[in-house]
Amino acid sequence: MRAPIGIKISSRRKSLAISQAELARRIGISASYLNLIESNKRVVGGGLLLRVATELAIDIGDLTGDTEHRLLAELEEAFAGPVLASSRLGPPDARDLVAKNPAAAAAIVQLHRAYTDAVASADDYALRLRADPLFSQLLHRILSGITAVRSGAEILEEVPDLDDEERSRFVRSITREARSMGDVARNLIGQFDRDYQHRRAASPVRELDDLIFERDNHFPQLEAVAEVLRAEIGQISEPAVTEALEARFGVTVRKSAERQVDARGFPGQYLFNASERMMWFQTSAVAATRQFQLCRLYAELAAGDMIEAEASAASLTTPTARRLAYRALSSYTAGAMVFPYERFLVDAESLRYDIEALRQAYTASFEQVAHRLVTLRRPGLSGIPFGFLRSDPAGRLTKHFPLPGLLLPNSGHACPLWAIYDAFRTPGAVVRQVVRFSDGSRYLFLAKSAGRRTASFADRAIHTSVMLACDVLHADQTVYATGLDLSDPSADVPVGPACRLCTRRECPDRQEEALAPGGGQDAVRAPLVPRGFDRTD
Amino acid sequence: MAVDVLIAEDEPSILESLDFILRRAGWSIQSVTDGDAALSAVRQSRPRIVVLDVMLPKRSGFEVLKQIRADAATRALPVLVLTAKGQAQDRRTAEELGADSFITKPYANVDVVKEVRRLLGEEAQ
Repeated sequence: MRAPIGIKISSRRKSLAISQAELARRIGISASYLNLIESNKRVVGGGLLLRVATELAIDIGDLTGDTEHRLLAELEEAFAGPVLASSRLGPPDARDLVAKNPAAAAAIVQLHRAYTDAVASADDYALRLRADPLFSQLLHRILSGITAVRSGAEILEEVPDLDDEERSRFVRSITREARSMGDVARNLIGQFDRDYQHRRAASPVRELDDLIFERDNHFPQLEAVAEVLRAEIGQISEPAVTEALEARFGVTVRKSAERQVDARGFPGQYLFNASERMMWFQTSAVAATRQFQLCRLYAELAAGDMIEAEASAASLTTPTARRLAYRALSSYTAGAMVFPYERFLVDAESLRYDIEALRQAYTASFEQVAHRLVTLRRPGLSGIPFGFLRSDPAGRLTKHFPLPGLLLPNSGHACPLWAIYDAFRTPGAVVRQVVRFSDGSRYLFLAKSAGRRTASFADRAIHTSVMLACDVLHADQTVYATGLDLSDPSADVPVGPACRLCTRRECPDRQEEALAPGGGQDAVRAPLVPRGFDRTD
Repeated sequence: MAVDVLIAEDEPSILESLDFILRRAGWSIQSVTDGDAALSAVRQSRPRIVVLDVMLPKRSGFEVLKQIRADAATRALPVLVLTAKGQAQDRRTAEELGADSFITKPYANVDVVKEVRRLLGEEAQ
């Protein structure tokens, strides 16, 4: 089923303001014959169609409908779908629209695709909700209630010799639990209503996050690739990688003070000019950056296909997501080259995860070491499980790797009490903190902020803060627990994930109201003298 | 004063029924409702087994378990951990920290009794 050629010839001709007689003359047929073609009463093809296409300056594929076939099929699907079914648009309408206004047809198809994607991601969201601390708290209460009710009911049913006092005690307890579960269930439903309004489409960044999370941030294939590449280069150092890049790929490295921009006009501290096979660094780029980016370039040149194979996972649905994944995984490979897995794990453990000491040993930045620590997840040979976060000075989280059990916000900002923000006040110094969440879980946070080296007086370098988090149970294996009494929780900093997700009503530092179960009223920024803003009558 | 079973659980209704069913099975019971109290009870009352909830105020069940295993005097003490359904990570953590066994909430009373009996080595009786 294709859009009729006649309509397309006619509408194209009209849009070019050519009369039927004029077009007929130019292609060497009678005006009445062209009229029959345009009303789809004659088939047009071969040399005649070619002449029509030439005169109308249009691709022959567009006229024959080959390029529109898929569009038509998708449009019919959209018309038949549940949303548009009531509009009673059918295949003839689809053909008509594709012929007369292909751009509008394409727009409808695009909307339809976005809609189906959104529907498909609903399941993902349901899964994600389980990681929400408010939900898990409510679910925990429900589960406790069920446990108590079941246990109490079993006693009532199975113990024949209960005395009256015992019997009424368990009946009371079951009643109490049932009532409280009812309240919790109502809260939960209220929460779902609220959450529905706050839902957003899955972004490419989220898709990448999901991929990394699914793989536990460990990519054995890329570890193997890095091992091979390292063997080619020898001991990793800036001169060694530079030499290997030149010898194997004819790449030269240049440094200059003035800033350059890449092909898309994006300025950076480094860039690779593929046509000149030249890697450029601004002189402000530090040794750790140069070494790391040279390794990344080597990995992309030597093993680009293998990195792409990892980045073409089925869960990545858009080109943008695949591009982001490729970039993240080429950096992963560079990290695996700079920090060989087994040696790095041994060093990390013997230095008790002292990031500064590891930086010295590997000519690396705090962020590079922190990032590599997160990836030490090889089954049977793993380090301490760490979560990772990076923030810009506006508080926005720009990179994160979650830790099972600890909810790191996906985007936006975290709890203002976290060390990641404290670290901005003392650039260059590691800030440590033992925190406690409202569910009682405790973590060691350690963070450090630093700015990129500036190139000139006018160059503004924003600071970023990087934070690692580990369960307090593992903290004693790190140098950062030195001198802390981890078994004494009295000095814990009471924190939450972010104000919107936090249940601590008593927190004096709350900046934003929590998503209230059941749509409760806002309590922050209340007037001194109570007033009835919340009256609904 | 030595007891057979120390229960550390902060939900009053669950505690009430656990206390009832274990007492009825013939053991002497002491119960506590937070992690700090659990640790001091372990040291003072020398229970033969601890039934330990993961989510405890003041000091989590995990921390209590870690302390029990770190202290030579209590290292061999059997610990039965109560975890919630769906919390696979909790279970892994408890395993790493040396829990002897698990009961998943919501549970059947008979399973709790059976597991305590097994850990106490009283199956034959």
